[in-house]
Amino acid sequence: MTRKQKRMAVIAGGMSFILIAVLLVMFAFSQSVAYFFMPSDLAKNEVSPGTRIRLGGLVEAGSVVRGAGSTVSFKVTDGSASVPVSYTGILPDLFREGQGVVTEGVFTTSQAFVADSVLAKHDENYMPKEVADRLKADGVWKESEGSPTTGAKGSVTR
Amino acid sequence: MIFWILIAVLTAGVAGLLIAPLMKPRPQLTTAREDEAAVYRDQMKEIDRDLALGLLGEKEADYARAEIGRRLLAATDAPQRGLTPAALPRPHRITTLLVILCPPAIGLAGYLMLGSPGMPDQPLAARLANPGNNIELLLAKAERHLAQNPNDGAGWDLLAPIYMRSGRYADADQAFRNSIRILGATPQRLAGLGETMVAANQGIVTDEARGFFEKAVALEPGNIRSRFYVALGLEQAGRKPEALAAFKAIKRDSPPGAAWEQLIDQHIAAVSGNAPGNPSAADVAAAQNLSGQERQAMIAGMVESLAERLKADPKNIEGWLRLVRSYKVLGREQDARDALQTGLKTFPAETGEGQRLLALAREIGLGEGIVQ
Amino acid sequence: MIVEIGHYALVLALAIALIVSIAPVVGARRNDAALMALAPSGSIILFGMVTLSFLALTWAYAVSDFSVRNVWENSHSLMPMIYKLSGVWGNHEGSMLLWLLILTLFSALVALFGRNLPDTLRANVLAVQAWVTVAFTLFILLTSNPFIRLNPAPAEGQDLNPVLQDPGLAVHPPLLYLGYVGFSVCFSFAVAALIEGRIDAAWARWVRPWTLAAWTFLTAGIAMGSYWAYYELGWGGWWFWDPVENASFMPWLAGTALLHSALVMEKREALKIWTVLLAIITFSLSLLGTFLVRSGVLTSVHAFATDPTRGTFILAILSIFVGGAFALFAWRAPQLKSGGIFAPISREGALVLNNLILTVSTATVLTGTLYPLVLETLTGEKISVGAPFFNLTFGLLMIPLLLIVPMGPLLAWKRGDLLGAMQRLYLVAGLALVVGLGLYYVENGGPVLAFLGLALGIYLILGSLVDLWYRANFGKLAFSIAFARLKGLPRSAFGTALAHMGLGVTVLGIVAVTAFETEHVLEMKQGMTADAGGYTLVFDGMKEAVGPNFTEERAHFTISKAGVAVADVWSSKRIYTARRMPTTEAGIVSFGLSQLYVSLGDPMADGGIVVRIWWKPFILCIWLGSVIMMIGGFVSLSDRRLRVGAPSRRTKPAKIALEPAE
Repeated sequence: MTRKQKRMAVIAGGMSFILIAVLLVMFAFSQSVAYFFMPSDLAKNEVSPGTRIRLGGLVEAGSVVRGAGSTVSFKVTDGSASVPVSYTGILPDLFREGQGVVTEGVFTTSQAFVADSVLAKHDENYMPKEVADRLKADGVWKESEGSPTTGAKGSVTR
Repeated sequence: MIFWILIAVLTAGVAGLLIAPLMKPRPQLTTAREDEAAVYRDQMKEIDRDLALGLLGEKEADYARAEIGRRLLAATDAPQRGLTPAALPRPHRITTLLVILCPPAIGLAGYLMLGSPGMPDQPLAARLANPGNNIELLLAKAERHLAQNPNDGAGWDLLAPIYMRSGRYADADQAFRNSIRILGATPQRLAGLGETMVAANQGIVTDEARGFFEKAVALEPGNIRSRFYVALGLEQAGRKPEALAAFKAIKRDSPPGAAWEQLIDQHIAAVSGNAPGNPSAADVAAAQNLSGQERQAMIAGMVESLAERLKADPKNIEGWLRLVRSYKVLGREQDARDALQTGLKTFPAETGEGQRLLALAREIGLGEGIVQ
Repeated sequence: MIVEIGHYALVLALAIALIVSIAPVVGARRNDAALMALAPSGSIILFGMVTLSFLALTWAYAVSDFSVRNVWENSHSLMPMIYKLSGVWGNHEGSMLLWLLILTLFSALVALFGRNLPDTLRANVLAVQAWVTVAFTLFILLTSNPFIRLNPAPAEGQDLNPVLQDPGLAVHPPLLYLGYVGFSVCFSFAVAALIEGRIDAAWARWVRPWTLAAWTFLTAGIAMGSYWAYYELGWGGWWFWDPVENASFMPWLAGTALLHSALVMEKREALKIWTVLLAIITFSLSLLGTFLVRSGVLTSVHAFATDPTRGTFILAILSIFVGGAFALFAWRAPQLKSGGIFAPISREGALVLNNLILTVSTATVLTGTLYPLVLETLTGEKISVGAPFFNLTFGLLMIPLLLIVPMGPLLAWKRGDLLGAMQRLYLVAGLALVVGLGLYYVENGGPVLAFLGLALGIYLILGSLVDLWYRANFGKLAFSIAFARLKGLPRSAFGTALAHMGLGVTVLGIVAVTAFETEHVLEMKQGMTADAGGYTLVFDGMKEAVGPNFTEERAHFTISKAGVAVADVWSSKRIYTARRMPTTEAGIVSFGLSQLYVSLGDPMADGGIVVRIWWKPFILCIWLGSVIMMIGGFVSLSDRRLRVGAPSRRTKPAKIALEPAE
């Protein structure tokens, strides 16, 4: 092999590695990206059973039912629609009725959403950002419904 | 004064240290690439060492030496990129002047724009030692005392209604429970806890709260106030016959011409008639009137006169804080909101005073619509 | 008064930074020694002023001066002193001041220890550092000023976010920033070289200790953060591929690549342009991380109060520095003489492969982190890219890198003998497979891939030793001679071996935990027992306790093995009184390198409580490996060669005296 050929081989090797990486990224995106939905979105677009999604909203007041063992079922609402969710495991510290929550999981049938993770993030306003944005846009959630001591902090600081 | 002297010393020190290198006569510059050559010489020595250790073959060492040698040569022989060392130290009069002027000019201008010159430090320990008549500090002092002596029931007894009045319902709730736990249940404490829960739930008498009122009534059957809440709770729960009976009983046990007579009549009408009559904040406010309408009227009068005074002289932050809080406690949300807005006109949100107003607003739950 | 002096010192720092950003550059162009001499002294004074400012704020926190708004918002008089102090950087404003403090600390260190640098290079490096300092001082003063006062002062503070009240947090941000911000020095070296338009092998040696230092601290910071998340958040996970974690991980990956490419440049004068680019990219990723965390485009534990003007300001800083540096690079890079050539199979060839893989992995992580943001901006669709994405892409890409790691040091520079290197590793690879198989059977179960993963970890550990073994020539020479040779090896050889070994230990931990971890979620009542990892836990009951600023419900468990009690553990749920915020304090017991992790859920109506019990085999390896890597970094840093340059400068006797003695 001449020097030039050697160099070409090295460059081709590098390129093919990058190509493999790009294909891998595209494959992984198609496999593991979860779209974010609110309950009223689900009324509009059907999500086929088995597709991983993130479902966000408020935990409907009075909907939390503890079943056998550590299975908990509750409803996630955004004011106009609500979706029943069941989850087995320990709920996060900040999980409360009437507070924002993001759950990730799949619909087993078109009705039952089985979550394998529930997030109530340690956010400044006790509200996951995606949920807060949407609820604000829909006018369901107001600043004051966050914790009274920190709720308006963001807007006050200059 | 000491503050300004320190500032002056600091600024002068910084300017002095900065101009020092400009004042010193400088040695001539070393040829710029000598430092580089030093690195290559070291790499050469390293090769010798590796060779001695047998980490490197004779042939490889030669290759490496040749390569580094080329770099070394390039570094030592290179023309100095047109950099001739200054023959004479240049005068730096203008630079020196700029360097001297820059710290005080930017420092003072920037600081005066952003800082609060002359404002003393306020360590909490010193403030607590000398709280004066600042209610907040006195409260903090009491809280610290209770944090250390959590079993001082009298302390909790004292704090609970204060929390309640300042709208800190969660704290009030805790304080009432503590005093009940330590000193035992009295009708006053039970009713206080119940009312705290009602206030925290925007006027809804929850089952738990009703339980406390019922206990209070059991201890003191003549406690009209608690009985009213029990009845109100029943009404809200939709248990109309029971509520009706309870209200009628209150009416029966009340002296004729009592201040609350009218209120009770309204409820009797609402419960017995078909009017759904969703209980409102007005009911609760009225209920709070039960215990002493004169006092309430007096407070209202004081608040009005405070509002008048502030209209005449708005530059009184304590006054605004008191006014907003009073309106809120009296249940006059809209007035509280208006007062807050008016107060913010005098003390904008950027100022420390404005911050306190906003903090109060958040504390008592007037947050929304104010800060935007 | 102290607070106000701190505030003034910060404004004064801005003035000094402005002088240091201009004068030395002019001096370097005119070859004016006096102007250039402003850079080191100015940088040290600058550090002094920022320190003064930082101490003033710390003092305000220590004495709970609630007339300072920042203290009022993030502190509470009843917090233990350590959290009052760590509260200084437990919030946006204070953490930016810490950022600035560390930035100026690095400038001062360059000023002090950079005496072996050419005067012009040092002047330019310090000036570029000062540019960054000016930008961040302005950012702090204009959008995030921690010295804003409240009058009259409130009586009590609003408390620090409870999840941040933890000893881990006291050290995590400073370590992380030492790494993050440390890469600013590499950036400044790169920009300075581009300004001078000349770059050579010596540059690589000068920049290497700074890269190494930053890398070492960043390793420590990331490991600390991961351990903190593990025990404080109570979810039992140690890495979440959270965007904020990625923000610190990307500079680490790029920095690791930089560390290796600088080596090639130093030895062979190749990869010059690439190394400069990598130095710029690394610090750009640090800035990007700062932007992601501070602007509020992401929410997480780390996102403090967010504010659009701050985001815009940091975005402006990011675009000016990154854009400016890349523009300068595009303009100057063609003028730089490109370096030597090399054969694909050689030490430098292996290092190039290392760079290729690390950069591509960095790009993958960057894609996964930014894609949701970009998509939301463009289409408004909200998606989440979670751990499965990163595990699949990053995990797979790392495998070839891990395979070549032990080969690199065994290959010779210029042209290496791949077969020879592989022969030396045959034994190790075989041994690793056997041990991996053994471990697999001991822990029995788990996916089949796990055994290959374990073998890979062991291969890395043993492979790092093989290099030292052959260099010292054990086996061919008498033991005492070989041992003497071993002692004679440069420290950097030990540093490399330790860092690679640490990587192996971490891989081992990751694979073991991922494959063999067991998790039980169950409802327990007093007296009930549960089994995990061969141990039996007895739930002894609940108890209430009160801390300085929280109340908690604690559960006690007795742990026994084969009927003999071996340990006990408390696990609790806390409520922090000031913010009424609940947190879970997991109970963790270590058995060797493995841990039992007990975390509490919600109480049940019938008096029981939901308990989550994990058995985490070899989990401590993850952080132990990081500690070994860190030690490797420090050992390498102590190599005398990194301090070279001074001995030959006999022309400047005054400077030799200041050189640290060896």
